Amino acid sequence: MSTIGCNEFLNQLGDWMEGERSAVARAHFRACSECRSLAADLEAIEKTAQSFALDDVKPSPRVWLAVRAQLEHEGLIHPDRQPVASRASAHWFDVIFAAVPRPVLAGAYLAALIAVAAALTGPGTGSARVNNARWLSRTEDATQPLSAQLDTAEQDTFSTLKNADPAVTASLQKNLAIVDNYIALCEKSVREDPQDEAARDYLYGAYQQKADLLAQMSDRGDDGQ
Amino acid sequence: MRTQATQPASFHQWKKAGLLVPGLLILGVASASAGDRLTQHFRVDPHPVVAIHNPSGTVTVRAWTKSEVMVVSDRSTPSVEVDASQTGNRVDILTRQVSDTAAPGDLRTDLEISVPQDAELEIHDDAGGVNVSDVLGDMNVETIAAGVDLEDAAGYLNVKTVDGSFQCVHCSGRIEVSSISGNFRFIDIHSPYVRAQTSTGNISFNGEFLPNATYRLKNYSGVIEVRFSPGDSFDLSASSIRGKVHNEARLDPPSHHHFLPRLGSALFGTLNSGRASVELSSFDGTINILKRD
Repeated sequence: MSTIGCNEFLNQLGDWMEGERSAVARAHFRACSECRSLAADLEAIEKTAQSFALDDVKPSPRVWLAVRAQLEHEGLIHPDRQPVASRASAHWFDVIFAAVPRPVLAGAYLAALIAVAAALTGPGTGSARVNNARWLSRTEDATQPLSAQLDTAEQDTFSTLKNADPAVTASLQKNLAIVDNYIALCEKSVREDPQDEAARDYLYGAYQQKADLLAQMSDRGDDGQ
Repeated sequence: MRTQATQPASFHQWKKAGLLVPGLLILGVASASAGDRLTQHFRVDPHPVVAIHNPSGTVTVRAWTKSEVMVVSDRSTPSVEVDASQTGNRVDILTRQVSDTAAPGDLRTDLEISVPQDAELEIHDDAGGVNVSDVLGDMNVETIAAGVDLEDAAGYLNVKTVDGSFQCVHCSGRIEVSSISGNFRFIDIHSPYVRAQTSTGNISFNGEFLPNATYRLKNYSGVIEVRFSPGDSFDLSASSIRGKVHNEARLDPPSHHHFLPRLGSALFGTLNSGRASVELSSFDGTINILKRD
C-alpha cells in the first residue's frame, strides 16, 4: 500500500473528520503519533462542541453579531474578511468555533482551523482552483486601485522632498524600498496561495505601511519648504 | 491656570562655551561656533503636556520633583532657533530653521528637558535620538531615523519610527510601537499590553507575562525572540509564513500543530494555565521562544 506524509494527511483531515477515511490515511494515522494526537484534539473539541450544542438553545443572530464584534474589537478577526472554510467542512468547523469559550483561545483555534480548512481546499481539486481564482480576483480587486493610488502619491511626494534634510530623505527612500520589496513578496505569496489569509494580511499591512510612510514623507517635504 | 514662564525671555542665560578654553585655539573656535546654550523655565500644574518638535538632534527628557518644566537647548549654529512657549498647562518646544542658507548639519540642536513625573509627552525628532526616563505620563513619540530609549515609563506609550531603534527598560504602561527597519528591545517589561510591529527589524522581549495581558509581536523578516520562565502562564500563538519557529516552552498540547503555513511553521499551545496571551507572527523571519537564563 502506498503511504502518505503528514502534509497529505492534513490535506485529508477534513474528510477524516467527516468520517471519510481512506486506507492510506488510516495507515498514516496508525503510524504517526503527531497526526493521531492532532486528530484526537480536533475530535475532542468537536465532541465538546456538540455537547454544548445539545445542551443549549441555538443562539440568535444577534448573539453571533455580538461575538463577531467582540472578536473584531480584539483584533482576532477582521470585518472585511470572508471565512475561508470550505462548504464541505463548514458544519464541524462552525460547531467547533461556536463552542470555544474564551475569545483569545477562540482566536488561536480559529487561526488553526482556518488553516486546516485552507488545506482542505488546496490545489488538486477543481473547486479548489475555482476558489483560488475567486480569492485572487478579490484580492486583486482590493489592492490594484490602492496600488495605483499609492504610486501616484509616491510621485507627488518625491517632488516635495527637494528641500528636506538629505539624511532623512535617504532614510525615507531606503525604507520605502523595503516596503515595496515586501509588497512584491507578499503579492507573490498571495498569487501562489490566494486563500492564505496570513499572506493577505501581510500584504494589506505592507500597503498600510507604504501609505503611512508616504504621509510622513509628504509632511517632511512640507516642513522643508 | 498659570500661563507665564517663571523667567522672561531677557532672563535667558546664553553662554559661549568655547570662550572657556581660550588656550586651545582650535578647540575654542570649534566650540565658539558650535555651542549656544539656552535655559528656560515654565511653572506648570499637575499633568502638564510637553510637546517637543526637534527635527535634528538629541532629545533627553528626565522627570524631576519640581512643578516646573526646564528646557536646556544647545544649538549647533545660529541658523536654528528654539522657541519654547506655554499655553495653559501645555509647553511647546519647537526648533526651527531661521536661515535659508543653512546646511543640514547646521540645524542640529540638542535638548535636555526636565519635567514633572506625571507629564504627558509628545515628541517629534527625525534624526538624532530620544531618551526619556522616569516619566509616568502618556507618551507619543515619532521619529524617522532617531532611536528611542525609554526607561521606567508607566503611561500609554505610542512610538513610531521609520528606521530608528526602540528600547524600553522597566516600562509598565500599555506599549504600541511600530517601525519599518528599526529593532525593538523590551527589557524587564511589566506591561499589560504590548503591540510591536517592524518590517525588517528584530524584536527581543524579556519581561513579565501579566495575567490577562496581551503581547503581540510581528515582523516581516528578522528575528523575534521571547524569553520565558517555566512558571510563566500564557496562551501562545507563533507562526512564520516562510520562516521557522523554535520553541523551548513545554506547551499543552505538545507543539506539533505546525501546519498553518505550508512553507513555514507555526505552533499554538498553552504554558501552565494560559493567563496571558502571546501572539508572535512573522512573514519570513525566525521566531525563537527561549527559556530565560
